[in-house]
Amino acid sequence: MPKQPSDRIELLQGTLDMLILRTLRLGPAHGHAIARHIQQSTDDVLQVEHGSLYPALHRLVKRGWITSKWEKAPDRNREHKYYRLTVAGKKQLAAEESKWRQMTRAIARVMWPAEQEP
Amino acid sequence: MRWFSRKSRREEEIDRELRDHLDLEAEEQQEHGLSPDEARHAARRKFGNITYTKEEVRSTWGWTRWEFLLQDLRYALRSLGKNPGFAGTAILTLALGIGASTAVFTVIDSVLLRPLAYHESGRLVVAWEHVPWLSGGDSLGPNPRHVDIWQKRATAFDGLTLVQNSARGVTMDEDHPRLVGTVSCLPNLLEILEVRPLLGRGFQSGDGVAGRDNVAILTYSLWQSLFHVDPDAIGKTIRIEDTPVKVIGVLPASFQFPNANVLRPFSSSQPKSGVPEPAMLLPAVLNLSQMAWDGNYGNWIALGRLKPGVSLEEAETQLNSIQAQLMKETPVSGGPGSLRASVEPMQEAVVGDSRTGLLLLMGAVVILMLIACLNLANAQLGRALARQRDAAVRAALGAARGRLIWCALAENLILAGLGATVGLLFATAGLDLLRRYSPVNIPRLSEVHLNLTVFLFTVGLALIATVLSSVLPALRLLSTDAQECLQQNGTRAVGSRQGSRLRTSLIGLQVFGCTALLLVAGLFAKSLLYLFHQDKGFDPGHVAVAQAQLPSNLLREEQSRIAFIDSTLENLRAIPGVQAAGLVSAMPLEGESWIESVRRVDKPGQEGLLVNARWASPGYFEVTRQRLVAGRFFEERDRDLESVVLSEGSVKALWGTENPVGSQISLLGRTHTVIGVVADSQTTSLKTPPARIAYVHYHYRPPYTTFFLARSAGSARELLAGMRQAVWKSAPHATIARVKTLDAQLSDSLAIERFRTFVLTAFGVSALLLAMLGTYGVLSCSVAMRKQEIGVRIALGATRPRIYALTFAEVGGPVFIGLGAGLVSGALAGHVIENLLYGTEVVDPPVILAVIGLFLVSAAAAAFLPARRAAHVDPMVALRYE
Repeated sequence: MPKQPSDRIELLQGTLDMLILRTLRLGPAHGHAIARHIQQSTDDVLQVEHGSLYPALHRLVKRGWITSKWEKAPDRNREHKYYRLTVAGKKQLAAEESKWRQMTRAIARVMWPAEQEP
Repeated sequence: MRWFSRKSRREEEIDRELRDHLDLEAEEQQEHGLSPDEARHAARRKFGNITYTKEEVRSTWGWTRWEFLLQDLRYALRSLGKNPGFAGTAILTLALGIGASTAVFTVIDSVLLRPLAYHESGRLVVAWEHVPWLSGGDSLGPNPRHVDIWQKRATAFDGLTLVQNSARGVTMDEDHPRLVGTVSCLPNLLEILEVRPLLGRGFQSGDGVAGRDNVAILTYSLWQSLFHVDPDAIGKTIRIEDTPVKVIGVLPASFQFPNANVLRPFSSSQPKSGVPEPAMLLPAVLNLSQMAWDGNYGNWIALGRLKPGVSLEEAETQLNSIQAQLMKETPVSGGPGSLRASVEPMQEAVVGDSRTGLLLLMGAVVILMLIACLNLANAQLGRALARQRDAAVRAALGAARGRLIWCALAENLILAGLGATVGLLFATAGLDLLRRYSPVNIPRLSEVHLNLTVFLFTVGLALIATVLSSVLPALRLLSTDAQECLQQNGTRAVGSRQGSRLRTSLIGLQVFGCTALLLVAGLFAKSLLYLFHQDKGFDPGHVAVAQAQLPSNLLREEQSRIAFIDSTLENLRAIPGVQAAGLVSAMPLEGESWIESVRRVDKPGQEGLLVNARWASPGYFEVTRQRLVAGRFFEERDRDLESVVLSEGSVKALWGTENPVGSQISLLGRTHTVIGVVADSQTTSLKTPPARIAYVHYHYRPPYTTFFLARSAGSARELLAGMRQAVWKSAPHATIARVKTLDAQLSDSLAIERFRTFVLTAFGVSALLLAMLGTYGVLSCSVAMRKQEIGVRIALGATRPRIYALTFAEVGGPVFIGLGAGLVSGALAGHVIENLLYGTEVVDPPVILAVIGLFLVSAAAAAFLPARRAAHVDPMVALRYE
């Protein structure tokens, strides 16, 4: 069910990159599919304006973490621009993941000092 | 512009991708039950700001860098367009500087740097002999007999040949002969140069034998003018001074050979005017067995091609060892080692003499160019100061340093680009001028063309100009403190004091360079005027001279030579308007020649005196209006008498103060009686003291080449055609090598001095104009900036003259300092060129005063308008203006 706009949480630019990379790890996808995937996976909590996706995608292409290619859709007679994760992208994803974990752990320690992570 | 198409392709691709996304989203919305229109709207809403997205994507790809560059260029163009006066003068200034530099560099490139236009021309050499008793250390064309031995014994050469430049009269049908430059050579010349004829054949060894030598090879241009590119010209006959000669070959259009002035077998001889470019090759017939071992120097030039890998030193050593052998084996005079040989590259022989002059020219032109750039820098500094606020705002808004510098560069790049384009046009025109007014011996002038190297040089100059003129303003831009700038109000720009000082001292620098140039130019100009107007001892006005030579069949007989001279003189005197006509055996103002020894008969023990021997006719001295000192000049009766007329200087050397008239001397193998003494005159050269000359009547050993002179009541130019007629009436097949007025000959003999003066004066004047433009610019800017201050002064009671004085004083200091420094350095430069000056001291008060006067007037003129503007500032307006 679509949530109200006020319920949606804004995304930082860096995290959007990480989410895109993670989405593409599941397989090549075009821009619209990536947007839909993120939206559905987070159950609409994360507000991803479709427009902000594309600068992020092109930025990632420029940095060599993903590649793009115009290909025919498997079931239709239509072409879409498909993005794929590169080897460097995979490494970058792993790095971002660990950075994210570190950050959340640090924040959690500040917020809830009593609870210790095992 | 690959990036441009890449950009539009990217644009299309992004459009496509985003459209695709919107379509997919719309489809999805439709599946949720929305109508197609509603679905599209929903998709767009969900997408967000499409334009913003596109921009973000674009900026990811860094297109904006290029767009920024373009944007700044367009802005620069617009701001230049708003200031057409500034842009115009800047472009003109750069065009002058770049144009002049390009023209001179083209000459230097084509003449000095490019190898000669022959295959592997680095191996082509000229071999000289050195015979101390004849010419001291000077290079001499070798004795052909020696060269023959060299050919047989030296292993360093692929081949050696002999060449001799000359000019002959050539006729096609029955028309009068035209003068054609010829090169007499041994049959192997073309082999050595590795040139193959375009048509027909080259020379073979059989062509060098007397009787079988009536063959000729034409250059392309001669073939064009005689036969109109007719391929059947081979085998046809032309006449060279009455001898039929068969054309056996035509050379390719690219063939060039140095003319007689460039390759001189006697290096101390004077270059002549009117020397034709070689247009024909003739086989040389040399009877070596009849030649002396110890003579015949300075008539031929030995050209050779070194074997690959052989160095000049090797070749020279070989030749010198052969010379030593020759000294032992043959009757060559002088002590051991007195006959030497030297080898130099052919290119050096051709261009060596002109190198200093050309490099000097390059130096002068570079100075001019620098002054032009200084001017531009100054002007740009002024504009930078005026726009300081603008720049401060930009910097405050976060403009990158690089972008600011690019802004400063962009304008200058455009100016330099346009300046270089116009400059190239100037250069082409300048080269044309150079070809017409150049002195007689710039070698290879026909090879001077604009080419790729020169074009790259011009572009390089434009870039240097850009950098030079942007450096100072850019540095100022970087050093502006944005905060300070923004706090100041209006026209009182920060650092204007320092800025003005910097600019006025640049003016001082320009004045310095200018003054030095003008001073040296002034000295040369005074020299030239002196040379023209000195008391020469003869009067060249209203006189024409014609050089004529009989065809060879008539030339051999003394009687026919005498008859020719007699009849031509008669014809000349019959021309209406002719007051006097005469003959002499050498062209006036072409140096000393035919040196003979003169001895007093009554004092046989006394040493002989070396004089120039000349053959003259009655009427010669009357034509030239030389002064009679004692005795009389030639009359008709002297043809059977053994009379001689001596110049004053010769008489002084032989007789002191005694009167020589009536005494006898021995000259040219017989005794002559002195009938008269003629005053010293500069008929051999305007640049050296009067030469010693002895004149005999042409009846005794009449000269082969004759120079007829005629004085007319009217203009000498109208006499020229008549002189030709007079000569051809006596001998229709005589070759007339030259006909010109004596004034023209005088001019030509001073060609180098005229050229030097012209160029230096042109540069000096250009530099002056530039400096004045600069002064005007600086003062205008300063007045504009100081409007408030001036307004206040006027309001407080300053008078107009006071304001004028104030404005003038602003540049006064640097101008005077520059003037002083320039005069001093000019005087120093004058010492360096002292031996090129005639009739003037190095420190010459009139010249110095003239230069100072010129400067003061120009500076005043340049400063006048801005000063006037300052004086007419309305104080009320100025004080209100913020």
